[in-house]
Amino acid sequence: MSKFSKAQPWLGLIARLVLGGVLFAAGYLKVGTLDKSQMAVRAYELLPISIANFLGVFLPFFEIAIGLLLILGAGTRIAAALGGLTMVVFIIAIAQAWARGLNIDCGCFGGGGAVEPGQTRYLQEILRDAGLAALALFLIRYPLTKFAVDKDPNRSNAGDVE
Amino acid sequence: MAQAKKPNGGKDNFTRNLVIAVVVGVVLIMLVPTVLSKKSDTTAAIPSSVSVEDGYGMVFNKELTGVPFIEIYEDFQCPACARFESISGEYIEDLIKTKKAKVAFHMLSFLGSESQLAANAAACSADQGKFLEFHKTLYANQPAENSGAWSTQYLQTLSLGLGISSPDYDKCVQNQDYLGWVKNVAEEGAKRNVNSTPTVYINGKEIDRNKAYNSLAEFMLAVEKA
Repeated sequence: MSKFSKAQPWLGLIARLVLGGVLFAAGYLKVGTLDKSQMAVRAYELLPISIANFLGVFLPFFEIAIGLLLILGAGTRIAAALGGLTMVVFIIAIAQAWARGLNIDCGCFGGGGAVEPGQTRYLQEILRDAGLAALALFLIRYPLTKFAVDKDPNRSNAGDVE
Repeated sequence: MAQAKKPNGGKDNFTRNLVIAVVVGVVLIMLVPTVLSKKSDTTAAIPSSVSVEDGYGMVFNKELTGVPFIEIYEDFQCPACARFESISGEYIEDLIKTKKAKVAFHMLSFLGSESQLAANAAACSADQGKFLEFHKTLYANQPAENSGAWSTQYLQTLSLGLGISSPDYDKCVQNQDYLGWVKNVAEEGAKRNVNSTPTVYINGKEIDRNKAYNSLAEFMLAVEKA
């Protein structure tokens, strides 16, 4: 067994808990103030208002669901793919706001909406989301991890991983 | 995995699918009513000064025509709204009293539950003809966001200083009689793409964000020009 194959399930566990934890926290912090969440999505000026308002309500629940599945390790590959896709969408949304010179907070963990010029943190927000997207990629490639509900279909009776 | 007991892979899949179903199911059960509650409730009680066609705003001088129409979207808990009130509030009150403008107040509540309590109490005070006094007093006593300071009891006690003696006000605050209206105003603000507070329109056009919010002179100029 190579060093990597020994470490991989543990690395995967960390990736799952970090990505899942961040998604769950992001959703949980927004779910109590949905008016503000809707405002945050509208402030990107990317979608028609009615769709932005729907997304402002939908997104916190979606993040909580994906976050929980990753923390539990249930359907890891699909959950990681959806989480990673979400991050890519966030990166695109933030990048376009930056490029168009909007002055908004990403609203990633509650908050959001217009901020004073000079108060934006687009680069940090994009780097953070890129890091999380990388964790998602790792989990898509290696979805079998420690302490997960998911089992290795080839080794369900082996009591060991790879 | 260490805890795999059964030689049968199907059993493990069952556990996994069950966990996924439970998580997705519970979240859906929470999401669906939330989405549905975001629709305006046209049967909700509204104070008599509220105008449905003006986006559920609290309207003063509704009958006037040929004067500037000032629409204010604000949240009682928002510090920038308190600043706008302290800079231009008195002038706006004068415009209302001297019948030189039609003014609509839209009390949003995106900052959370205490904003909803405050907006509801504001509607209750409108029934007693004290909305403007309530509005001014509450901003003058703005605490930190959702610190628990604005309880129903606090909002009821406030009535003493405003000269409200009717027990109807206390009941209205206690029972949150206008919570439906509070949600409808918020919904209309969302539909109008109000993305920060305060947001002020004069005759349908937003005032200059860089100038007119922080300067009485600039705001007066904007009203004069309208």
